[in-house]
Amino acid sequence: MSYGQTQHVVRGAAYGAGASRRVEAQLSVAAEWAELRDMSGAILARAPRRLLQFDAPLGTAPRKVSFPDGALFETNDHAGFVAMTGQTTGAALHEYEAFGPRLIGVVLACVAAAWAIWRYGLDILAALAIAATPPAVIAQMDRGSLQVVDTTMAEQSTLSAAERAQVEDVFNRLTAALPEDIRADHSFTLLFRNMPGLGPNAFALPGGTMVMTDDFVKEFPDPDIIAGVLGHEMGHVVDQHGLYRLYRSVGSAVLIAFLAGDVGPILDDIVLEGNVLLSLSHSRAQEREADTFGLQLAAAAGYDPAGLAVFFQRIAEDYGGQEGMEWLFTHPLSQDRLQDIQTFIDSLPQNP
Amino acid sequence: MSAALPEGSKPFQFTGTANEWFGIWIVNLMLSIVTIGVYSAWAKVRTKKYFYNHTFVEGRNFDYHATGGQIFKGRLIVIAALIVYQVLLTAVPPLGLLLSLALLLAFPWLILRSMMFNARMSSFSNVRFGFDGTTGQAMLLMLVYPIGVLLTLYTTFPILDRAFKRFSIAHARLGGARFAAEFPLGAFYKAFAVAILWVIAVTFGGAALFGISVASFGMAAQNAQADPMAIMRLIGLAYVLFFAALLPAAFIYQAMTRNVVYNNTVLEGGHRLASAVSAPMLLWIALSNTIVVVCTLFLMLPWAQVRLARYLAAHTGYSLGGTLDDFVSQAQTTGNAVGDAFADFEGMGAGLPM
Repeated sequence: MSYGQTQHVVRGAAYGAGASRRVEAQLSVAAEWAELRDMSGAILARAPRRLLQFDAPLGTAPRKVSFPDGALFETNDHAGFVAMTGQTTGAALHEYEAFGPRLIGVVLACVAAAWAIWRYGLDILAALAIAATPPAVIAQMDRGSLQVVDTTMAEQSTLSAAERAQVEDVFNRLTAALPEDIRADHSFTLLFRNMPGLGPNAFALPGGTMVMTDDFVKEFPDPDIIAGVLGHEMGHVVDQHGLYRLYRSVGSAVLIAFLAGDVGPILDDIVLEGNVLLSLSHSRAQEREADTFGLQLAAAAGYDPAGLAVFFQRIAEDYGGQEGMEWLFTHPLSQDRLQDIQTFIDSLPQNP
Repeated sequence: MSAALPEGSKPFQFTGTANEWFGIWIVNLMLSIVTIGVYSAWAKVRTKKYFYNHTFVEGRNFDYHATGGQIFKGRLIVIAALIVYQVLLTAVPPLGLLLSLALLLAFPWLILRSMMFNARMSSFSNVRFGFDGTTGQAMLLMLVYPIGVLLTLYTTFPILDRAFKRFSIAHARLGGARFAAEFPLGAFYKAFAVAILWVIAVTFGGAALFGISVASFGMAAQNAQADPMAIMRLIGLAYVLFFAALLPAAFIYQAMTRNVVYNNTVLEGGHRLASAVSAPMLLWIALSNTIVVVCTLFLMLPWAQVRLARYLAAHTGYSLGGTLDDFVSQAQTTGNAVGDAFADFEGMGAGLPM
C-alpha cells in the first residue's frame, strides 16, 4: 500500500456514483484521509475525511458513506465502523433509540404527554381555533347544518300561531335577560320544526340557531320547562361546545396522523370515525356547564329553575315508555346532575 | 388468491424487527411531541428510511433520501396556502367558487409532483427511481375518469383503478430502466366481481341463517322512532354488514388486484415481479393488528407495522432476467416536497406501491 498507515479497515460493498454495480470493497478512514479499495487493493475512491458524508446510523440498517465523487460504501460491520470512524452525526440519537430499559422512561413520558395533550392541549388548540374562526364561517356552518337537518329529517312545523307565540315569549324574555357582554357577542334565532324521528327535543347550532321540535312544544307547554331547556341550549352556544367538539375531534385525528404516522388498514378508519363518534357524545362537563348557565338565565328571567329538573325527571320516567330516549342519548342524565340542579336552586336567594 | 409465489421467483426480504423499530418510533414520537410537531418531518424521513433500508432484493436494499428540512418546508408552504385560502374565502366569499375550482385543477398537478418527488427520493442499489408521467395524464386520470365512473354508477371502477395503477408503474423508472406494466382488464373485473359476489353471498347467507333481511333493515329504519330498540338493532346490523360483508370485500379486491399488478410488471432487463398475497391473511393481520394496537394504547403499533411489512415482503417476489449491476441514475425533474406535503394532508400515500 502506497498511502500512509491506516489502523482500521472495514469490509463491505462499494458502488460507483449513481450506479448499481456492486463490488466487494474495504474502507479505511484515518485522521485526515479516507480510502476505498476493492479486494485486490486497487483504489476506488480517495478523499479528505472532512469531505465524506456519513449517513446517520439507523438501527441495524447498513451503514453508508459517500465520497465527494459520488462513490458509496456500505457495510453491516457496525462495530468495526464505529471503532474506525469514532462517533459521527446522529450517533447520540441512535444510542437513545436503542431498545432497552431506558425506553421505559420515554414510553412513560409519551403516555403522559399524550394524556396531557388529550386533557389540555386539544382544548387549548380548540380555543385558539375558535378564536380564529370568523363569525361569518360560524354562521355559514349553521346554514349548512340546518340545510342537512331540513333535507334529511325535518318537516315544516305544524304548530299553531298561539303555540309558537307562547314559546317565543319565553325565548324573548330569556334573551332580554342575557348579560350585556353575551348579547353583544351572540345572536340567537329560534326555529320550529316537525321532527318525528327526534321526539321531544331541542338543539342549538354553534352560531346561535336554536331548533325546537313540535313534539316538545306539545308535550311540555309549561313555560318553566321551556325556559330551562332553552337556557340550557343557549349555554351550549355561549360556551361554544359544538365548535369545541368539532375542533377537538379534527385536532386529535390530525395529531394521531402526524405523530404516530401511518397506522395501517382498518385502524386508520377507526381513528377517524372513532373521533367523530366521540365528538357526538356530549361530555358531562359540558352538560353541567350548560345546566348552570341555563338555570341562572331562567332564574334571571323570572322563571322557576326547577323546570329543568322537572323536565329531566319526566323524561326519565317516560324512558321505559320508549319516548324521550333520543333526548337521553345525547343528553346523558345522571343522579349527580339532578343533585347539582337542586343545589343550585337551594343556593338561590329565596324570593318571596 | 394463490398463496405461493410462482416457480422460480424469490421473495423480497424484510429484516426490520419490532424491538428495534419500537425504539426509533417511540423516540420519534417523543421528539415530535416535545417540538410541538416540528420534528415529525424528520420522523417521517427516519420512518421511511427504516422500512426502505430493511427491504432487500438479492442482498441489495432500498433507501430514502429526502431530508427532514425538505419535508418541513413543504408542510409549511401547504399550511400557509391553506390559511391564505381560508382567509380569502371568508374575506371575499364570492371568490369561493373560483378558489375551489383552482384547487380542483391544482390537485392532479400536486399529486403528480408528489409521485415524482417520492420516486426521485427513493433508490435501490444506489440508483434513484424516477417518474415521468405528465400533468395531462394526471388530469385525465384524476378529474375526467372519476366523472365517467360516477356516470356509469361505478360499473367502470375497475377501468379507472387499472388505469391509475398502470399510470403509477408504467411511468416509473429505476435509473434509465423502465417498467412494463400491462394489466389484463379482465383480471380487474374478476376481482371486482368476486368482491361483489362476497357481499351478495354474505347478505343472503345472513338473511337465511339469522332471518335478517334487507327489508327488515329498511323496516328498522322506518320504525326507529316507534321502537328505540330498533335503533340499537339498526346500529348492530350496520356493524355486522360492515365487518362481514364490506370489509372482507375490500380486502378481496385489494389482494387480487395487487397480485395482478405485480405479476404483470417487468423491469427492463427481464426482471419480473410477483405477488401472492391472500385476502384472508391480509384481513386477519389487519384485524388482529387493530385489536392488539387498540388494547395496548398504540404501544404495539411498531410491532403491527413490522408484522405487516414482513408479510408483504415475504409474499412479494422477483425473478431476475440478468445482472442487477447495470442500472444507472438519470438526471431528471425531482418534483417537489410541496406536493408530497399536500398528499400527506390529503391522506394519500403516493410512494412506491410496496
